Amino acid sequence: MEFREKVLEQASTITDGCMGHEEAFCVAACPMHTDVKKYVAQIGKGDYEAALKTIREKLFLPNTLGRICAHPCEVDCRRNTEFGQAISVAGLKRFAAEKADRKELWDDAVGTPTGKKVAIIGAGPAGAQAAIDLRKAGHEVVIYDKLTVVGGMMRVGIPEYRLPREVIDFEYSYLEDLGVNFQMGVEIGKDMTFEQLREDYDSVIVANGAHVGSIPPVPGKDANGVFNAVDYLKEISLTHKFPKVGKRIAVIGGGDVAMDCARSSWRIGADEVFLISLEELESLPASQAEIDESQEEDVQFINGWGTDEILKDDGGKVTGMRLKKVISVFDENGRFAPTFSNEMKEIEVDSIVFATGQQVQDVSNGLLEQKGGGRYVTDSETLATNLPDVFVAGDASGGAIVVQAMALGRKAAASADRFLKEIDLTEGRQFKFEYSFETRLDVPLPKGTENLPRTSGNHRPAKERKWDFKPYDLGYTDEQAKKEASRCIQCECKLCMTECIMLNDFGECPQDIFSEFLEKGEIDPVIPYSCNMCGGCTHVCPNDYGIGETFMGMRKDFILHNDGKSPMEGHKAIEIHQKLGFSKVFCTKVKGVK
Amino acid sequence: MTQNMGFMPGCSLPSYTPEGVKQTMEYLKQVYPDLGGVQKCCGKGTKALGQEEKFKERFAGLQKDIDDVGIETMIVACQNCYKTIKETSDHTAVESLWTLLPKIGLPEEVRGKAADSDVVFAIHDSCSTRYEKEIQDGIRWILSELGYKVEESEFSRENARCCGFGGMIVPANPDLAMRVMNRRGNDFDSDYVVVYCAACRSSLMKAGKKSFHILDLLWGPVVYLDESAPEDVLSSPAKSWINRYKSKQIVKKVVKA
Repeated sequence: MEFREKVLEQASTITDGCMGHEEAFCVAACPMHTDVKKYVAQIGKGDYEAALKTIREKLFLPNTLGRICAHPCEVDCRRNTEFGQAISVAGLKRFAAEKADRKELWDDAVGTPTGKKVAIIGAGPAGAQAAIDLRKAGHEVVIYDKLTVVGGMMRVGIPEYRLPREVIDFEYSYLEDLGVNFQMGVEIGKDMTFEQLREDYDSVIVANGAHVGSIPPVPGKDANGVFNAVDYLKEISLTHKFPKVGKRIAVIGGGDVAMDCARSSWRIGADEVFLISLEELESLPASQAEIDESQEEDVQFINGWGTDEILKDDGGKVTGMRLKKVISVFDENGRFAPTFSNEMKEIEVDSIVFATGQQVQDVSNGLLEQKGGGRYVTDSETLATNLPDVFVAGDASGGAIVVQAMALGRKAAASADRFLKEIDLTEGRQFKFEYSFETRLDVPLPKGTENLPRTSGNHRPAKERKWDFKPYDLGYTDEQAKKEASRCIQCECKLCMTECIMLNDFGECPQDIFSEFLEKGEIDPVIPYSCNMCGGCTHVCPNDYGIGETFMGMRKDFILHNDGKSPMEGHKAIEIHQKLGFSKVFCTKVKGVK
Repeated sequence: MTQNMGFMPGCSLPSYTPEGVKQTMEYLKQVYPDLGGVQKCCGKGTKALGQEEKFKERFAGLQKDIDDVGIETMIVACQNCYKTIKETSDHTAVESLWTLLPKIGLPEEVRGKAADSDVVFAIHDSCSTRYEKEIQDGIRWILSELGYKVEESEFSRENARCCGFGGMIVPANPDLAMRVMNRRGNDFDSDYVVVYCAACRSSLMKAGKKSFHILDLLWGPVVYLDESAPEDVLSSPAKSWINRYKSKQIVKKVVKA
């Protein structure tokens, strides 16, 4: 039967706007869309294995990410946006991994062999994620990396006290389980040409990261004792040493890498460590945790100053720096364009580490076009390049953090898979869900939500930890993890579903009921005839959707197509009841008299 | 008020309590000596089934009755009648008994009569008038005038929840209706619940609550703890129709008195 336009319109308004299935803020913000809400709840219930499995549906590195993820989920967490106290999502992830992760739980199924071969340049998170997805699709995968250890920047950029290397090795063993082949210590562009690689493989994914440290063109930059963050952190990561550095070290930069350089400096024996940034303390780009932890470790912050000149002795050895006071860092258009006053000061140091940016080194011998910072030019939706068989992922394509690199690896792998199967790269693909997106969820805080403080973890005392490379953060105890998980608001819009019993009998939210109605063009009459039109759903709906009203419209249409009668058998009694209610026997009208 | 006033008991109320109808009308008659009366269904049931045409026809019949006896303002004691007339009639004004009583006051003999009652009544508001604050205030005023103690629930007033009746789901999906009734019953801490719709009263009785219509409290004996609520008359069609017939005779008798 046909429903009238008005009913269809109302149903489609609800279908389009209902937030019942809209993602929680954390899930939408995670570029990999890990089901944070679900695993946090599972931890809260003490079901750590279930939580771990939930995490592993999306992430092969739960313990790694639990320690070092820059957690965009926490930025968007409702407890952060409302109270400035996000759920410690990453901490809980690490907890679940430590409690429950074991190889037997890993899904090592791979796809039916396709006979196609893909080469991946780079064993960092982007390359690894791409490798996993391509193995799942049945392609043969070989990863090339110029380092002899896996993990990319996670291994040689992120310090060991934040991420123990055995965690990386354990989690990466998953790739071996899937049959990914590693060619370690092979540098493309040097040990083997890019052209050769393209000849040998059906497709290539370039995920070589940004491993070239840059030093700004300041006077004296060639002095003996000036280093870049990439080389500094790499050597310290691999050897726990950096023999060329002195004892009074200045780190230039305000991001997480600068903090890592400063904190690592203690661990290789510095006497004094300065952190010099253009930005003021309150607007440093580094994460608050890294800032706090650096300060706990007595790094001396000199914020709002820029390098005027590096001072050196006659032998060309660094003796100090002259700094100039910053007036502003960005211009009115938000572009990086620092301005300085005439105010100067000098500090005495013997070594300077610049943590002011990293660049991508070309592996393609110029075949791929590059832009700022050496990032390759790609189609942002598909990560395709000017070469049809080549895709780029991770830092090399502009990702900034590990979990973004993974999402970009997944995206590049999806494109490579389509290329290999000769499917259009874009057709039917929902790009929105391939990266962080903004959820439409917009609901009031649940009644009685209190501002509960974030559960602090167990950090080793700064005075002890700053001298070694052992983990500084010992992670949550059971009790702490459960307490922290219990703070989760479990953001969702199911307000009408809490209010109405009837809707729950027919779907998870109104969107289910009305979209099915629109799809099929019909509905079981018991659904609209089970609504009592009490208006409770509309009363609590953030969008005031007229759900009952829409059911009413359907009822009217059923009557129209059923000779004026209700299709419900039980309503015969109502017909009689109504007939009697209007019959002369029971009715009367009497004019008032004085 | 210079308008010609009339009273319309509705359907469920006259089926439940002819005595309540009688006492209410007698009191209104004291205030408005030329009070008129109509007993007929407002057609809400027909409308709720989705029978648009039949509803128009039936409401037109009610409108004719109202016009025939010259009533300009209809006093109603049923929230559905209130809503139906308000939304449908283009010239008859409607006034809820529950907003009228605070204006005209209660008879002297009932004021403060329940001051020594040990019952604390929970209040079940009608979902059809969830946004009619004046009606909800009127109910609370009446209870306070009588001297009863009350407790509000999380689901009071505009947050009122469905009693399970009223939208025709009882005959269409009885199992669901029962679950809705039980849930509504559980919304209240007190075993004693006051309602201002006779159908809601029947639902709450089915949910195991000692449920009283506000007219039971207004005109009936003072309620004390451990007393049971009046019988759930509406569960018996025979008794309901007999009562409806009795109420009709009462309407005629009181108006003509």
